[in-house]
Amino acid sequence: MTKYIIRRLLYMIPVLMGVSLIIFILFNLVAGDPSAVLLGKNATARQMLEMKEQLGLNKSHFAQYVDILKSAFTFDFGRSWATKQQITYMIKQGAYPSLCLTIPAFIISTILSLIIALVVAFYRGKGIDLFIRFVCIAGMSISALAYILGFQYFFAFKLGWFEISGFEYGFPNFVPYVALPGIIWILLSLGPDVRFFRTIILDEVYQDYVRTARAKGLSEMTILLKHVLRNAMIPIITYVVIQIPYLILGALLLESFFGIPGLGGITLNALNSSDFPVIKAMAILSSVIYIIFSLISDILYTVADPRVKLK
Amino acid sequence: MKNHSLWRDAFGRLFQDKWAVASFIIVIAYSLVAILSAMGLIAYDWAREVGGSNLPPSAEHYFGTDIFGRDVLSKVIRGTQIAMSVGLATSLIAIPIGVILGAFAGYFGGWVDDLITWLYTTFSSIPNIMLLISITMILGKGLFAVYVALGATSWVNLCRLIRGEVMKHKEREYVQAAGAIGGGHFRKLFKHILPNVTHIIIINTSLQFQIAIKSEVILSYLGLGVQGEPSWGTMIDDAKLELSRGVWWQLAGATLAMFVIVLAFNLLGDALRDSLDPKLKGK
Amino acid sequence: MKFLSILLCALIFSGCSKERNFDERELHLISLEKFAGFDPIQVSDRYSGNETGKVYEGLFEFHPFKRPYILVPNLAESLPTVSADGLVYTFKLKKGVVFHDSPCFKDGKGRELRADDVLYSIRRLADPKLQAKGWWLIDDKISGLNEWRTKYASLDHSNYEEAIDGLKKIDELTVQITLKKPFPQFLYALAMPYTFIVPKEAVDHFGKEFLNHPVGTGPFILEKFEQSNEIVYHKNPTFREKFYPTEGAEGDDKLGLLADAGKRLPLVDKITVHIMPESQTQWLSFQKGKADLLELKSMYERAVDKSKELHQELKSKGIRLFMDPMLDVTFYAFNHENPFFKNRKVRQAISLAYNRAENNKLFYNNSALEAQGVIPPGLGGYRKEFKNPYTKFDIDQAKRLLREAGYPDGKGFPEITIETRSETSARQSIEYFAKCMEKIGIVVKAGINTWPELVKKVSTKQHQMYTMAWGADYPDAENFLGLVYCPNQSPGSNGANYCNPDFDALFKQATILQDSPERSAFYEKMNEMVSLDVPWVFGFHRTEFYVAQAWLKNFKQMEFNHTQFQYLGVDLEVKKELSKKF
Repeated sequence: MTKYIIRRLLYMIPVLMGVSLIIFILFNLVAGDPSAVLLGKNATARQMLEMKEQLGLNKSHFAQYVDILKSAFTFDFGRSWATKQQITYMIKQGAYPSLCLTIPAFIISTILSLIIALVVAFYRGKGIDLFIRFVCIAGMSISALAYILGFQYFFAFKLGWFEISGFEYGFPNFVPYVALPGIIWILLSLGPDVRFFRTIILDEVYQDYVRTARAKGLSEMTILLKHVLRNAMIPIITYVVIQIPYLILGALLLESFFGIPGLGGITLNALNSSDFPVIKAMAILSSVIYIIFSLISDILYTVADPRVKLK
Repeated sequence: MKNHSLWRDAFGRLFQDKWAVASFIIVIAYSLVAILSAMGLIAYDWAREVGGSNLPPSAEHYFGTDIFGRDVLSKVIRGTQIAMSVGLATSLIAIPIGVILGAFAGYFGGWVDDLITWLYTTFSSIPNIMLLISITMILGKGLFAVYVALGATSWVNLCRLIRGEVMKHKEREYVQAAGAIGGGHFRKLFKHILPNVTHIIIINTSLQFQIAIKSEVILSYLGLGVQGEPSWGTMIDDAKLELSRGVWWQLAGATLAMFVIVLAFNLLGDALRDSLDPKLKGK
Repeated sequence: MKFLSILLCALIFSGCSKERNFDERELHLISLEKFAGFDPIQVSDRYSGNETGKVYEGLFEFHPFKRPYILVPNLAESLPTVSADGLVYTFKLKKGVVFHDSPCFKDGKGRELRADDVLYSIRRLADPKLQAKGWWLIDDKISGLNEWRTKYASLDHSNYEEAIDGLKKIDELTVQITLKKPFPQFLYALAMPYTFIVPKEAVDHFGKEFLNHPVGTGPFILEKFEQSNEIVYHKNPTFREKFYPTEGAEGDDKLGLLADAGKRLPLVDKITVHIMPESQTQWLSFQKGKADLLELKSMYERAVDKSKELHQELKSKGIRLFMDPMLDVTFYAFNHENPFFKNRKVRQAISLAYNRAENNKLFYNNSALEAQGVIPPGLGGYRKEFKNPYTKFDIDQAKRLLREAGYPDGKGFPEITIETRSETSARQSIEYFAKCMEKIGIVVKAGINTWPELVKKVSTKQHQMYTMAWGADYPDAENFLGLVYCPNQSPGSNGANYCNPDFDALFKQATILQDSPERSAFYEKMNEMVSLDVPWVFGFHRTEFYVAQAWLKNFKQMEFNHTQFQYLGVDLEVKKELSKKF
């Protein structure tokens, strides 16, 4: 087990190198020349040259790649070109609001979809199954943009139930700000979640042990809750854990519309201003998180199901 | 062969499912609209001024007119062409890459598997939206960039699935048998294994198609999508400013058009999975 | 499951929006863009200027009410004495001005402002290690400063101790600045955020974090700075005795703008600036009464009906609309290095085919003024009677000119890409431009760019055409005429790369003249001369719209409004009264 974990952790090195390579190829080719933005509309030619040098853009490509690699392993990302702030500070500042939005929304949507999936599995093939599945799928087929524009106008503005925009640190201050974007998040993820959980549960329902249990005369409800759910837990946990990185990275559109100062908004801004160090940092950060959580999910997989042996 | 009847069974089940049939018809209808529009038979004059600025829906213009007095329905149709072409192009790029890489990784194992696994782990550990935006920015925006960006991000999932499936099949008796009678690697892989994983490709495509459509809308909304042609995303972007003036029909038109096709693909994808995935056969 | 229901309830029921506070003299403002930090030398846009101007001050400021804009002393005691040749400026500083209390000072108490601080702040602007966005402003202007900058460009540290002939301290409160050549806009430069006065101790103490820890002399002190959420300031308790002006422009009296005359500034105890880049959010927040003032960028139609009156619903809440012409010009610039645009007839044809009246109706609700030349109204050099014959809408003449140029019905003319920003309205306005050009057979496409991409394309001359709006840096038409001055071509502000030797000769002569009727006449001549040559397709001088709540006092639109906030007040009675309506 320990060996496996170490091996997986070591695997981060080539992956991080790959990520740095992709990021390098993409962003050293991006059309925007940051020196122009950094200097404003009245920049002189000479100033632009000096700036390029100070930003290290005159270095050889290899040296620039090595710089990216270095920051990937030291987590020292330097300062943002656009906001001038320490990037690690920006990430620290941004992670909290992102998590305030995504974690509650994620927990609720996961639990809710699990319940719905169980109900749907119980009534599989019947009208209620079709109806609920249809509603879920219909819900996820509406554009996120339509949800945002419509809900913000109607619930926050017309009815005044929620804050329109902004954020406050600390519980429960943040609740009114994240409630509406959280609900939109839930609506958007209910569809895929229910669909996935339903498939997993139905997978189990057709297993032999269920037939045996049925033969023993156990009620369908007991079978679902006691046996099926327990066995289905493994893929469900895997599915849940693997989504955690996306929670940390926040929700791009939701954050920018609802004025939540999270990592999603930071990323979008950085992309819009060719803020190379921030994009780099976010890509590296996300891949590190991704690798760690896929490792955790694999480990949980073995813990939950001793039959699975890690190589 | 056993394979044959499996497919017939599957489609038989599929056609009993009213939802699936309806969805399939919708997909066909959208494709037809897209093809007719691409051939210049309908909505070719979407840019023509047909009436006043921002006229509400009427018998003449079912979805009203936009700020320049253009027919919103024509724009929705033109947008359909863009959306369907994005879905198609994405699939055409992603399927070959995903299938070939996945099959090779699963079949050959060893360093080939290591390399391909490394490649898709790397790709999948960068958030999709970031890759999408970066690639479209670099390729100078426009439809081509959207195709490439979506193609480049959506092969990963398929590759992973195919790899797993091929790994399983590799050990099966029929493949071993084919090996025994002297089939080469490629023959084994393409003739024997791949036909047995086709259902994964079909299901994945159906679901990937709607993801591509949704992504195109987001990219266009961010100003990174198609240029100089109406797309559902740019229409929604326009609507953002127009809503306050009470001009809701452009948003409604684009959202509705998108809703119907995404819904159809989702339902179809589900139905395909239910009928093609033998594990769920006894439903 | 219990956990779930509790969480759900918490979400749904505590989801009610928060109560507003009606008993504090607090301003709630909205900034439409993010703000990178409080370093004056890097502050190039007005939103950043607004924040910086709450904390820092310059030697001069623009009078908050008088129009046309005039400079009044701020940290300076009075307007400077200038030598006869216009080169040596002597400034006296106000006595008793102290910096905010800050740990960067000995014992944490803010010390008094000195002549050295002024000189230090100007050197910072020139420091090659800092690459200030405002360097262009004094580039090649102050005697000895460019030499100092060049000398340290390739060294590791700039030496601030080294003497520069142009920058002299006469005594603790007197500064003498010597220019290389006459620079009539110099005093304007000293009212811009770039030259706000910063203390050396703060820069040294906070290092790179200086931008998060501003230490100024201004009316407010920074309390909280969350870059993408909100900025909070409170009143500076050690602010010098500065009083609300007793005079304004004609009619200001009647508008009640002078009701607070003679009161000690600032008028409010606290300012909260909400950062909101999304227009829908800004508008909804304002309507909820969460902000006292809002600039209506792309959303003025939401507030205004066809007759340009506020909607009744808003009026009933006491909301007021302010609209004032901006000192700006929008344009579609040709890249004059492109051989197709070297032909004046082509440029004129394109300009004639552009239907400005319709565009004004579609995009500006008829609120903008069609530009005839480079200079906007409100600046010396603008002549109301001047009508550019090529800004009218005349398809026939356009077609004729295009034929004469050798491209009958656009045959043989290449497809043109106009570079623009990715905002919805920018894209739509190019779509409209393309529609106009279709009529004379020219195909136009929009090139959508992020701001950095656009700047890069223009500054490396990779564009065919581009569109932009230019806002005044200071109230002098030189700032606009410079946009078509040959030496300013890319990467400078002349992105059209337009060169006209006759114009350039006049420009050189005019820009060393002091503000005077003669100079205005000179500017007029230059403006009209260059307009007829159609260096750009002229667009509009736009109108700026603000909405203000009934309780906001003393608001008057201001182009250069960094120091405006100390004059704003809140009428708490009115706010309390009206709060029921929100």
